[in-house]
Amino acid sequence: MKFTINRNQFIKKISNVQRAISTKTTIPILTGIKLELSQEGLTITGSDVDISIQTFISVSDADNELHIENTGAIVLPARFFNEIIKKLPGEQFTLNVVENNQTIIKSGKTEFTINGLDANSYPRLPEVESNEKLSISAEMLRQLVDETVFSASKQENRPILTGLHLKISAEKLLGVATDSHRLAQRIVKVNNQSDNDYDIVVPARSLKELEHCLIEDNSEIKISISENQILFEFQNTLFYSRLLEGNYPGTDRLIPTSSDTQLTFDAKSLLQSVERASLLSHASRNNVVRLAIDVNASKVTLYGNSPEVGTVEENLTTEALSGADLEISFNPDYLKEALQAFGDTKIEVEFTSALHPFTLKPSDNKENFIQLITPVRTF
Amino acid sequence: MGTIQKLSPLLSNKIAAGEVIERPASVVKELVENAIDAKASQVDIMVKDAGISQITVMDNGTGIAANEVELAFQPHTTSKIKKAVDLFNVRTLGFRGEALASIAAIAKVQLITSTDGAIGTKLQLAGGEKKNLQTVSASQGSAITVQDLFYNTPARLKYLKTVNTELNQVINIVNRIALGNPSVAFNLINENKTLIKTSGNGNLQQTIAGIYGRPTAQNLVAVQGQDNDFMIDGYISLPQQTRSSRNYISLLVNGRYIVNQQLTKAVLAGFGSKLMVGRYPIGVLNIKMDPLLVDVNVHPTKREVRFSKEEQLATLIKTTIAENLNDINLIPSAVNSAGPLKFSPSASSTLTTQIKEPTTKQLAPTPDQWIKPGAINPQPIFDDPEHLASWDQNIKQKASDKLLDPAWTELAANVNHQGFPQLQFLTQIHATYLVAQSNDGFYLVDQHAAQERVNYEKYRQEVGQVSADQQKLLVPLILNYPNADTVIINDHLDMLQSVGIQIAPFGQNSFVVTSHPTWIKIAQEEQTIREVIDYVLQDGKISIAEFREQTAITMSCKLAIKAHDVLDNKQAQAILDQLAQTQNPYNCPHGRPTLVHFSEQDIQKMFKRIQDAHQPRREK
Repeated sequence: MKFTINRNQFIKKISNVQRAISTKTTIPILTGIKLELSQEGLTITGSDVDISIQTFISVSDADNELHIENTGAIVLPARFFNEIIKKLPGEQFTLNVVENNQTIIKSGKTEFTINGLDANSYPRLPEVESNEKLSISAEMLRQLVDETVFSASKQENRPILTGLHLKISAEKLLGVATDSHRLAQRIVKVNNQSDNDYDIVVPARSLKELEHCLIEDNSEIKISISENQILFEFQNTLFYSRLLEGNYPGTDRLIPTSSDTQLTFDAKSLLQSVERASLLSHASRNNVVRLAIDVNASKVTLYGNSPEVGTVEENLTTEALSGADLEISFNPDYLKEALQAFGDTKIEVEFTSALHPFTLKPSDNKENFIQLITPVRTF
Repeated sequence: MGTIQKLSPLLSNKIAAGEVIERPASVVKELVENAIDAKASQVDIMVKDAGISQITVMDNGTGIAANEVELAFQPHTTSKIKKAVDLFNVRTLGFRGEALASIAAIAKVQLITSTDGAIGTKLQLAGGEKKNLQTVSASQGSAITVQDLFYNTPARLKYLKTVNTELNQVINIVNRIALGNPSVAFNLINENKTLIKTSGNGNLQQTIAGIYGRPTAQNLVAVQGQDNDFMIDGYISLPQQTRSSRNYISLLVNGRYIVNQQLTKAVLAGFGSKLMVGRYPIGVLNIKMDPLLVDVNVHPTKREVRFSKEEQLATLIKTTIAENLNDINLIPSAVNSAGPLKFSPSASSTLTTQIKEPTTKQLAPTPDQWIKPGAINPQPIFDDPEHLASWDQNIKQKASDKLLDPAWTELAANVNHQGFPQLQFLTQIHATYLVAQSNDGFYLVDQHAAQERVNYEKYRQEVGQVSADQQKLLVPLILNYPNADTVIINDHLDMLQSVGIQIAPFGQNSFVVTSHPTWIKIAQEEQTIREVIDYVLQDGKISIAEFREQTAITMSCKLAIKAHDVLDNKQAQAILDQLAQTQNPYNCPHGRPTLVHFSEQDIQKMFKRIQDAHQPRREK
């Protein structure tokens, strides 16, 4: 196998594939990156079994400056290969596989000889049938991941909670993540032309990697789902992820439908207040802040304290408040992360009682985005 | 003839022997205990082949009267208790009346005994049957020879271990008995080789020296403690002198060696974090108590006993050891621990005498204070003979202070309440150790270990003050337990609740957790709750304290400066000052030492400025 290619184009394409490759793996060949050359172009594959990413560089795209001399396949050590290509001097480079999988990389006056591995021993990618097609815009998918995935659990002992629960019906895609202390649910538009509804759990890590691959991408992304794999297709790239097995807990009933106290805040200024209060709560063993709502006096106060360092008290600026008086305590980090997901917008915070979870919704998109935070019961 | 018959006395004795006599060491134990019960002051034990072929125990006790000799070998005959009430008030080591009969049933036994040191009785038995009885001349006391042990119970003989193992068992049991009876001189001889020899002069430390060797014994420290029911005295090793097995801890209750896990644990708890993981101290603790409080009639060999107030006793042992150790300067000397193990008498005498001194001095007013001009009513003092006596005493004490060591009085001013020296920082070496000096030499301090100790004491307090706040869970945790565990957990729901673990039964064998205490680390909820429940399953108690202590140790280690951190003078001095304020400045929470001491004397010896008088001159 031998080809010449534009170096910058190649680096762009390879950077996505690189995300799937882990240095910590029990299968040595997976630390490598697979290059497969056909008459149509070059296919690059990386995988860590959970996630596999494959991208295609077409010979027909003139930008790629791809010249094929003869076809073939090779697996090269990803870590070195990547660094070598980045540091090569020329605008193009030539890759030539000679005997015993030895690979010569030439660019300008530089020549590297790298020991490769036999491409035949590289594991095959999962097979996902893509007959019935589902699609979503890249921007929607980015939002969905951005606004929910931080709530997923990082604890491996409840594996199902480390994923994002996706429910796909004809028009909408509902994503839920919870680590059982807080929950984030987002509904986005999806284009589902099949008769099937889907109910799957995708590892949060896969979605985070996918999100990185989608930065600056505004295309429509095709989604295919098999029994234990999901495949995202975009711009000559295939992104495979394993699905989590097991039943995701029912979260619908967790979301309260009514409330007794309602507040409206500017998310950004509330975030700043919470960050101030958590400065001290972090210093205490408990990490709890207290919110006191006095409706008649129109006063909402946030308290944080550390027995060692001191206390903080802040009167919050509300846009609106109604309902009953309340005092509630909670972990400020959950509120902080929830507010960060909202960005710069107005939010409505609704409480039922000091012992029930409270909800946060953006005023302009109440139906489609909701976050839930469980309180701390203080004594 | 019916199928149920009464067993012959011989057969029932053989069965009883199976319980009491397991191996040669059991015979030695029973015979030596008899000797002690007979008020002997000298007991000689001679064994052949670790006692398998022959055991002889000779004592100078009261002996057995001629007309009772035969009776002594009948089952359930004893001179030690007489009526049922005595069973609860046993002051002798034996009382069951089984030993002699049991031994006689399974071996060939010869007894020569005399009550007056002139005319005695000689009795020979084999397999429990009398072979010969005659009057002989004998010295005061008894001499029992047991030959061919287990000759008529081949099954038991088969299960004996190697000669060395059996001999070890014999040595072990004689050791323990000797420790319990320092006023009896023991002599254990195996095939003409003396294995144990104790002086019998009533000094426990000398007895320990006879058993564990002089260097070990001289580095032990005396401990004493008592409450209304119990009195404890004995010797324990310092934390730097340890063994890898618990076997070197001997517990003696009213002179009887016993095995009791709870109390052994209490001894270790007394050392606390001063011990390294997997190391155990050497110790002999004599516990004196009213025999009413202890039931020795649990097992024929009487190794296990039951206490009426075990927990109280355990607490007393723990606090006694902890208090006694607190009084002692535990800084290991660099020279002794680094070089080959040799004993320097000066080191031990400074250890024991120096440290007690400041407390006694504080208690008794010094003569200077008595004659201060501002003192109230100096006149009556001189009239009062009692005050005059104390005056004399104080003068003597002061004089003896000076005699002891002129540097000592000067040093005493610099020592804080624990006897921990005031350290002046000199320099840091290898960015890891701090060199500090005091009036009595210089010290090397491990900076990481030292700060770990400081942090540990800080966090241990803090960790204890947790709030009862409960973080609610959206998706409850479900914990599954096996049947038997479920029953136990159900019984202890209240107790779990009291430490903040709120679980509720949830179907068969499952529990649901809807909230957890906020002190549990995020992402460790299930693991932590299970650990707490495991404590309950283990012994029906929750040791949250132990649990949090572990957390404190981890925190203290993570937050401490590491080796290879360069410190400036002020930082280094701050660590030394903080270390001096801690309750136990001598070890890090993992038991490693925080500092070692190079005394002036040690240094002088290193440079041969003074000769080691205790080392014999090498022969030419």
